[in-house]
Amino acid sequence: MLITTLIWLENLPPFTSLRSSAYAYPIVLALHVSAISLFGAMIVVTDLRLLGWSFQDCSISDLIHQLRRPKWFGLIATATFGFLLFACKAEEYYYNSFFRVKILLFLLIAMHAVAFRRGVYSDPAKLDHSLKSPPHAKLAGSLSLLLWVAVLCAGRGIGYVPGRAGMHYH
Amino acid sequence: MAIENPLSTSPLAFPILECFHIAGFALAIGMTALVDLRLLGIGLYKQSPSHIARAFEWWSLAGLVVAVFSGLLLFSTDPDMYYLNWSFLIKMVCLALAVAFHYTIHRRAVFRGISPSAGRLVALVSMMLWVSVIFGGIFIAVVRPGLA
Repeated sequence: MLITTLIWLENLPPFTSLRSSAYAYPIVLALHVSAISLFGAMIVVTDLRLLGWSFQDCSISDLIHQLRRPKWFGLIATATFGFLLFACKAEEYYYNSFFRVKILLFLLIAMHAVAFRRGVYSDPAKLDHSLKSPPHAKLAGSLSLLLWVAVLCAGRGIGYVPGRAGMHYH
Repeated sequence: MAIENPLSTSPLAFPILECFHIAGFALAIGMTALVDLRLLGIGLYKQSPSHIARAFEWWSLAGLVVAVFSGLLLFSTDPDMYYLNWSFLIKMVCLALAVAFHYTIHRRAVFRGISPSAGRLVALVSMMLWVSVIFGGIFIAVVRPGLA
């Protein structure tokens, strides 16, 4: 069922042409990497602040509130370009172990967001009262750093898995 | 006697170095982009551009250093290919321009202040230069088969 959907997806007209174009695919890849730089830096900046390692003269709540919209924009841009890369080789990606690890990491990141939502992200003003960053904020920051670095490595790994024979490309 | 590059003996060396390379330049380019977005009036609008730049200065320099050194090691695995690769050459020209621009005009605009319209121009040039370095890097692998 899933694999039928993936074969249908990769053979939709925009994705067949993206797959066969010599330049469109690397352009989308370069846009994906550019968006990663912006999005990744915003994540690192937030995490470093939660850890108390940088930007100490800006309060945690100030930083989180100001970056909320730009971060969403960065995530949507990165995910959109990433989806295009996936969609034109959806069937192959399904079998790719690094891609599977990456999806698993995204699930962990979603769990991280839910777990620290109340304590850190939804009401960061609470964290401004103490001079030092509280332990659970530091934990949120360090786990986030670890998870996103793992996503980066898994993402790079995808390209190293050799292409499979017998894919249903039209 | 031929001396083999130790990086070529392990198939894992190149991809691991690439991860360092990507993490390094993402940090450097992304943090610079946050300063550029501020010059455009987007993002950390409560802080001044110089405040943001000072807060991230050492982190983004660390990212650039990691990217350059991992890049040198990546280059060392196949120097002839890179030297003959026109995308690599364009990338190096863009990188030199981006770094030069960053430490001269961009730095002056951020720390000494500049008119808002000139600030926007500086931000756009800075972002275009850094993004062109990324494009140059991605296209190294695309133009590679064209080599004899």
